[in-house]
Amino acid sequence: MRRLVILLLLFAAMRLILPLGAEGQGSEALLSFGFLILAAYTVGEVAATVRLPKIVGYLIGGLLFGPHVLGAISASGTERLTPVSQLAVALIAFLAGAELRWGEVRDRGVALLKMMSTELAVTFIALVGLLYGLHGLIPPLAGAPSVEALAFALLFASIAVVHSPAVTMALLTETRAHGPVARTTLGVVLLADVAVVLLFSATLAIVRSFAPPEGGSAIVGVGMVLWEIGGALIVGALLGGAVALYLRYVGRELILFAVLLAFFGLEIARLAHVEVLLTLLTAGFVAENTSSRGDELRHAMERSAAPIFVVFFALSGAKIDIAGVAPLLPLVLPIAMVRGSAIWLGTRLGAAWARVAGPERKLAWMGLVSQAGVAIGLSAILADAYPGRGAYLQGMLLALIAVNETVGPVLFRRALSKGGELAPETGAAEPAAAPAAAIVAEESS
Amino acid sequence: MSAGLVLILVVVGAYVAAHLASEWLARRFLIVSGAEYLLLGILLGPQVSGMITATTVGDFAPFMTLAFGWIGALVGAQFRLPELMRIPRVMYRVAWLEAVFSLAGVAGIMAATLAWWFGLESGEVVRPAIVLGAIAVASAPAGIALTSRSMGQSGPMIRQLSVATAIDAVVAITTFGLLLAITHTEPPSAVRPPTATEWVVVSIAVGLLGGILFHLFLGPERKVDRLFIALAGALILTSGAAAYMRLSPLLPAMLVGAVLVNTSHSSVEIRQVLAKVERPLYFVLLIFAGAAWQPSSRGWLVPVAVLLLARMVGKLGAARLAARWTGVLPALGPTWGMGLLGHGGLAIAIALNYHLHESSALSNVVFTAAIVSVFLSDVFSARVVRSLVRAYGVRVRGAARRLAQSRTGQGAA
Repeated sequence: MRRLVILLLLFAAMRLILPLGAEGQGSEALLSFGFLILAAYTVGEVAATVRLPKIVGYLIGGLLFGPHVLGAISASGTERLTPVSQLAVALIAFLAGAELRWGEVRDRGVALLKMMSTELAVTFIALVGLLYGLHGLIPPLAGAPSVEALAFALLFASIAVVHSPAVTMALLTETRAHGPVARTTLGVVLLADVAVVLLFSATLAIVRSFAPPEGGSAIVGVGMVLWEIGGALIVGALLGGAVALYLRYVGRELILFAVLLAFFGLEIARLAHVEVLLTLLTAGFVAENTSSRGDELRHAMERSAAPIFVVFFALSGAKIDIAGVAPLLPLVLPIAMVRGSAIWLGTRLGAAWARVAGPERKLAWMGLVSQAGVAIGLSAILADAYPGRGAYLQGMLLALIAVNETVGPVLFRRALSKGGELAPETGAAEPAAAPAAAIVAEESS
Repeated sequence: MSAGLVLILVVVGAYVAAHLASEWLARRFLIVSGAEYLLLGILLGPQVSGMITATTVGDFAPFMTLAFGWIGALVGAQFRLPELMRIPRVMYRVAWLEAVFSLAGVAGIMAATLAWWFGLESGEVVRPAIVLGAIAVASAPAGIALTSRSMGQSGPMIRQLSVATAIDAVVAITTFGLLLAITHTEPPSAVRPPTATEWVVVSIAVGLLGGILFHLFLGPERKVDRLFIALAGALILTSGAAAYMRLSPLLPAMLVGAVLVNTSHSSVEIRQVLAKVERPLYFVLLIFAGAAWQPSSRGWLVPVAVLLLARMVGKLGAARLAARWTGVLPALGPTWGMGLLGHGGLAIAIALNYHLHESSALSNVVFTAAIVSVFLSDVFSARVVRSLVRAYGVRVRGAARRLAQSRTGQGAA
């Protein structure tokens, strides 16, 4: 009841305030930001009472109050909050890197690599086969020659296999899970994040040879891709080293430093043309593993990031255009089901190959279903390269992402619950408030 | 290299340097920290190096708005009723009188000065004169805190000065907030433009709404992390709503702060969270305030000099008058108002808020005056407080003891 009162009050307040003012000096962005923190967090709590992950609540909150449903937040308001999404991406990537310990990477790296590669390969093949089989039902591919249909199936699959490091991190911090299912899922997702960039770039390069791009801006060279990955490791390591030095010799104003660090990481990755997520992930890893005060920075980052993460997910929800997604669902739902099944099969095969014996063997696949920002970003590149067919496929991908973005966190939470890795309070029917770090995040476009 | 990257690098590097330098200065010469960030902002801004462009300053406007709100909330959070009750009433009477007298005095002098110097009609100078009055009333607690720390005491003089700075802040914020509401000129998209009274009601209602929302949102929860979310949400919403309606975020946020500490069981934690976040926001505010500064195209030297003089005379005179009126002049001494001459974040926040407000008359003059005053006061405010405490601390302690004894006697009777 209390939560309903909050939501009603917030909605009524926005309705009263909006006609009394006008945008100026980012005030609308600030207003939308404050509204989304309270509204989305409240919906997240409602979601938690029915044992759904809070991030699903944030998404629903954003969707509900966003421009496509109730309109408490305008389309321009969501657009103006784009820097918040970018900041969230940087923070979550750094936090994800800081979660990894060198000892763990050394001990389990090969096993995780085997699981990840098998899972990606199986899912990719399954999706290519499905898309190629269904191409007659997809309007822009219906009359296309087989080679072109195969080309677009490859491109679609290379994006559809992508996971979401941020949803994974979000759930882990929300539930405070640290068991084998949690660690394995995080490891596979982070490794896959690197692999999918390579996979997509390689696929695009191959497809270009038999289906030349309609647009010209998405030409990706091999050297460029290698630099994007290798450069990210170098830049990230340097950044992480600098962070460690700051912690050692200054170590003050960590909240301010955390926010500046995230902005700086974003900016420098953009300038150096390296992969943003990987850069900050590496920075987090290096800082955490080379400094004795890494935990302090991580805590400061979690504190300052908490409201940013809530808003980030809410914005993801607000951007879902239900009217645009609904007509594509009959086509997308079977694809989502095949993708889920392929992830299950691939993970089981990979676990068998890597001789993984714990509960993660059966449950890790459930953490790999989520999709979000990386996939959205890649789909934008596809639409840019092929404005006609690519744009239609982008619509399909966005619908697929919307489905996986909603179902994925639920499945992952269930996996953690089945694996006995949920902290007692988060597994309770009426969960107590999660810590600030529990406020989730996700990578964005 | 992109402007954004340069900006971050410069801000971080300069921040570290300024921070270390200011710490040394504070220890060595009892100089309050703050002005160095303003100076840094001016050096980085479009007027000097141009590293922070006018566009960048505009892009960071939401941060500044949030900083206004945060500062307002911190002021409001000082007013927790059970704690206020423990302070002798006479301290409040002195503080209120001092604030009102100095506001009226400085605003009057500045209205006359601005009208004479710029040749403006009286109607045109009322707004900037009242803003300058509000700026003049605001006293920074930093010098008092620094002295209290360095001398290791928190006696009655320190307490009287602390009460006075808190009341000064309330008077300054309320005056400025109401002024922007009453003189609201921006045409809203609503069918009928609200009247001045309605804008005042809206301004207060936004603050109360923020407080109520926070209270509802937090519920019985006491975890600091959740508290942070609730606090950040309520303050961002309040500040954003006020700025969106072209009102000052300071007043509604101050109300939020007061509501929070008086309705929540976590008042201590609320203050801790507010204080923790205020520091980085304050630095950002000062840096961008410095960057936003533009030298006035009109002769600003005379009005600024008059303000500095009027403020000093006004504060001293008002403080003395207030002490005499309430019968505590012998205890406080005739120059106790010197301890209130420190100027800091609130003055800058009011001036910058006015500066960023569209259609603000003489905003450059107002902003320049605040900046100059903060520069000067940072250098001497802590030293003045220290000398006051040394000179009158003992005397005030005796007076307070006598007052407490007489109250106890009355209670027993």
